[in-house]
Amino acid sequence: MPRKAISNKDPYFVDCKGRVKDVQAAMARQGIDVYLGSRLRTLSWTLDAFCPWRSYVVVPPKGLPTAITFVIDAARVADDSWLDEEHVQGYGPMGGQDQIALLTGLIEPHLKGGKGVVGIESGMGNYLPEGHLTQYEYECLKAALPKAEFRNAHDIVDRLSLIKDQGTVNRFREASRIVDVGHREVLKAIADGGYRGMTETEVGGLAAYAMRKAGSEWEWSFTGGNEIASGYRTGLAAGACTPASRRALKAGEALMVDLHAMFKLGLGDHSHNYFLGRATKRQKWHANNFVDIVKLCLRTYRPGISPSQLADEMQDFCEERGFAEYMVPGFEHGIGVTGDEWRIGLNDGPFPYWTNPDHRYQKGEMLICAMQYACPEENIGFRYENPILIAEKGCEPMSRFPLGVEVV
Amino acid sequence: MGTKFKYLSPEWAAEVQKRAGEKLTPEKMKHITSSMLTVNTNCPDGKDRAVYYEMADGVVTEVSIREGKPPKAEFTITADYQLFARISRAEVKARSALMSGKMKLKGPLVKALKLSPLVDRLNEVIATIPTEF
Repeated sequence: MPRKAISNKDPYFVDCKGRVKDVQAAMARQGIDVYLGSRLRTLSWTLDAFCPWRSYVVVPPKGLPTAITFVIDAARVADDSWLDEEHVQGYGPMGGQDQIALLTGLIEPHLKGGKGVVGIESGMGNYLPEGHLTQYEYECLKAALPKAEFRNAHDIVDRLSLIKDQGTVNRFREASRIVDVGHREVLKAIADGGYRGMTETEVGGLAAYAMRKAGSEWEWSFTGGNEIASGYRTGLAAGACTPASRRALKAGEALMVDLHAMFKLGLGDHSHNYFLGRATKRQKWHANNFVDIVKLCLRTYRPGISPSQLADEMQDFCEERGFAEYMVPGFEHGIGVTGDEWRIGLNDGPFPYWTNPDHRYQKGEMLICAMQYACPEENIGFRYENPILIAEKGCEPMSRFPLGVEVV
Repeated sequence: MGTKFKYLSPEWAAEVQKRAGEKLTPEKMKHITSSMLTVNTNCPDGKDRAVYYEMADGVVTEVSIREGKPPKAEFTITADYQLFARISRAEVKARSALMSGKMKLKGPLVKALKLSPLVDRLNEVIATIPTEF
């Protein structure tokens, strides 16, 4: 029996059993006897539990999947997930209890005479916690199951998780609401000279505390939690990754606040920008450029448009307004339940394991509208990130924190 | 009808340098010092042909056509002749061609991103040259 009652009346309900059945149907169509998931995105999506340690999920052709994680966390994963304790196993450094022994024991019964096809998740990513099967794991499994064929099959989960169900969308909405609580708290703290004497890490911390109070489980981003940049750090060339530093905030500089919250594996991710104390005419010119292109970008996202088409339209606008050299030429990154932060859609573009620039957005897909403006020679930059849901027409931005670059 | 320059001819290269000198001030070119090689593969005569650009303190100091072993440059951009021809006619943007994988860049990417608008400016100047492909 599952430890938790799962009601489809819950606004955050996700049908994990249905997801697994869909995976099994796709396995049957592709001639896969058993599926070994190892990516964090697959674990989150199939188990509905956060798996911070090296973990796996073995999906048989019929029936419940079994998760394997580090023994110190197995009971907690079982408690959080929809699966019972029998279907969440712990591995550890004991005879017959290591990762490969447990995986072999779960996979082998589904291979007749040891023969058959094992779906695996192989590939590459720029996203550190991706979790593809390692060469060592592959070699050990190959040695343990010498007659089996190992076939890369991550496209099954990628395809099935592309369109978000209502429960997942609601989780993202709640995570964004929590992020907005963090932003309001930051604004309250830095307003009216409150920023004086504060550091970037302190801004990240006070936002984290406010968001935790509001129900966030984690500042999930592996880029250092909440990303905060001030002064020259806001304008690093192409620099859209700024873990908070101990740098003190200074009057006359820009401040970028990029907050992350997690709610039931749904992710909030919104960036807001400020000027501290004062801003020059030139700084305001940069800020107006940035705000205008964000507005245009949000108006442009819609079903049917592709990343390259959208980038061309944005680039035309930048060139027309004379700030193309400051815009980093990318306007999105992927998003899904935790572990799914980078590529959008399928691995079907010209660059392996990157978003296909000709991907056509569809209703029900989610992505982060992500934009970075950087002028290193003037030590100034801005970032915008906001989870958006592709709607019937246009998109729904999930963070509602008012867009702008305010002088505080 | 004015003179038409044959694409990738020494005369065309000289015209690129002349017009760049007239239209691109060192300020517009951000006083950059760099070098770039654009390798046109599959030219109509079957050969590969490169254009070598050298910039010093924002001034385009050399535009020359190279065959055989090309000189070393900070950035090397390789694509089919037809694609470069389309970029030269301003039918395709270099950035779009790079992002679609039809064009390959060798060189430091962060610096290339900073310099890409300057290359666009150079391409805009090239697009003004009456050219025969």
